[in-house]
Amino acid sequence: MDNDQADMNTALMVDGNAVAGQLEQIFGRDMTMAIARCAGCARDAQMGALMAFIRGPGIVLRCPACQNAIARIVETPSATYLEARGAAYLRMAPQA
Amino acid sequence: MVQPVLEWQAGRVTAIRPETRQTKSFSFALPKWMAHRPGQHYDVRLTAPDGYQTQRSYSIASPPERLGEIELTVERIPDGEVSPYLHDVLMPGDQLELRGPIGGYFVWEVSLGGPLLLVGGGSGVVPLMAMLRHRAAQHSTLPARILYSSRSAEDVIYRDELDGMAAADPTFEPFYTFTRQPPAGWTGYRRRIDATMLAEVMRPFDRRARVYVCGPTLLVEAVANALVQMELPIEQIRTERFGPTGA
Amino acid sequence: MAGLISRGFLGRRRPAEVENRLPPGQYLVTDFPVLSAGPTPHTPLDRWSFTIEGLVQSPVTWSWEEFQKLPTQTYTIDISCVTKWTKLDTKWLAVSVDTLLQAVQVDPAGRYVMAYSDGGYTTNLPLDEMVNGQAFVAYQFDDKPLEPVHGGPARLVVPHLYFWKSAKWIRGLRVVERNQPGFWESLGYHIHGDPWKEERYSGD
Repeated sequence: MDNDQADMNTALMVDGNAVAGQLEQIFGRDMTMAIARCAGCARDAQMGALMAFIRGPGIVLRCPACQNAIARIVETPSATYLEARGAAYLRMAPQA
Repeated sequence: MVQPVLEWQAGRVTAIRPETRQTKSFSFALPKWMAHRPGQHYDVRLTAPDGYQTQRSYSIASPPERLGEIELTVERIPDGEVSPYLHDVLMPGDQLELRGPIGGYFVWEVSLGGPLLLVGGGSGVVPLMAMLRHRAAQHSTLPARILYSSRSAEDVIYRDELDGMAAADPTFEPFYTFTRQPPAGWTGYRRRIDATMLAEVMRPFDRRARVYVCGPTLLVEAVANALVQMELPIEQIRTERFGPTGA
Repeated sequence: MAGLISRGFLGRRRPAEVENRLPPGQYLVTDFPVLSAGPTPHTPLDRWSFTIEGLVQSPVTWSWEEFQKLPTQTYTIDISCVTKWTKLDTKWLAVSVDTLLQAVQVDPAGRYVMAYSDGGYTTNLPLDEMVNGQAFVAYQFDDKPLEPVHGGPARLVVPHLYFWKSAKWIRGLRVVERNQPGFWESLGYHIHGDPWKEERYSGD
């Protein structure tokens, strides 16, 4: 499907699955199947299914239902920042 | 079980194979190879002599049954930073930093069951191919279909392999659609994927299908919205958005 | 972050003829990359407004129509994004922040500004770096209405700071007493962000 320039910003959106590597670096395990509950609308979504905006100074993960920012990740040369005020919780099953 | 920490490793290029005008497949031997789950990706990192680094994610095309190596199929994005390097500079014998396999969300393996409906646009077919190659390697007879959108006949990646799979396996069927230039004499679909097309391809599976959709973001959006309107349970739908189209 | 040097990978370009216009660590681009932290807001112009509030005698709000009647200037400036690209000679039609501040009387305690946008984005700036022609609110780029992906209908532009300070989809400025970090400044990015001093990250 072709780009519509007006929709370029939507076209740039990817899934949380695309930042699975960054999440795994932080949590030490795959997080894409973990559930994030949105602190804004209380909906649950798998982290792999969050809206991910990855072209910017950092990564922003948003709730697919209400677009609330669930988490932000910034990697600097000296540290990784994770902010997750927009998540009521993350729920993860033990890994197989 | 303790998972190994995800770390960068130097993969060695063992083969480079052109697939279409815009895509090539790259095989890497990995010193710390581990079996991936079909649909997963690797991160690739480039480092310049001045320390500048950039990284991208690429889907694995090969099945986990291929031991010790992975294959990535990469579309060349003309203004891109990493894919032109891979296409134009990288040679067999070179080393490249890779990190993976990554992502447990967009995966399918035989143990998850079927029927399986794969929907891909452009190079979005790559992780779907890993699923189909895995399915074939396992001699699975779970019903599977792929609906694959390309601009033109020349842009179809893995065409011969998909048709070969179908010829050898009555439980698998590929469907192609062409948005710009169908092959001569083409009688199949010649438009963007829409709800009608999805319904036709999915009909024998009814609402039991496990659906994996991968491609440019706007295609994935359209397909995912159509599937939800068709009342397919949302937990049976997995999406992988690639961002903007390459061209 | 160390890494295996990729044979034949030269990174990005710093052409010699413009070298002195590129801040340290920056590379030249000729396109206009789209960066985003969220979906593009689409506020209809009849519901758009621009407000200056906070530590001012009385807040002022302009409608889109009123905003269009404010005096404008054309600016041709270089922009540098913290993601390491620099674009030269970008041309904007804009209302100077000086013009906007003339409409309010800033309380002497007001020394900083929090710019805020549709979609919830914020960025903090020192007030004395917003005045004397240093910052403007633009609604045309390259003689055309500013596209939504680049921040239209209107965005802040502060050319002497990294481009994350140039808030897209801007809706107002809040004059404040203390320098509180905005959206990116609160997560590892520099509170000030001068590209010539390479103020990328907090602690730089």
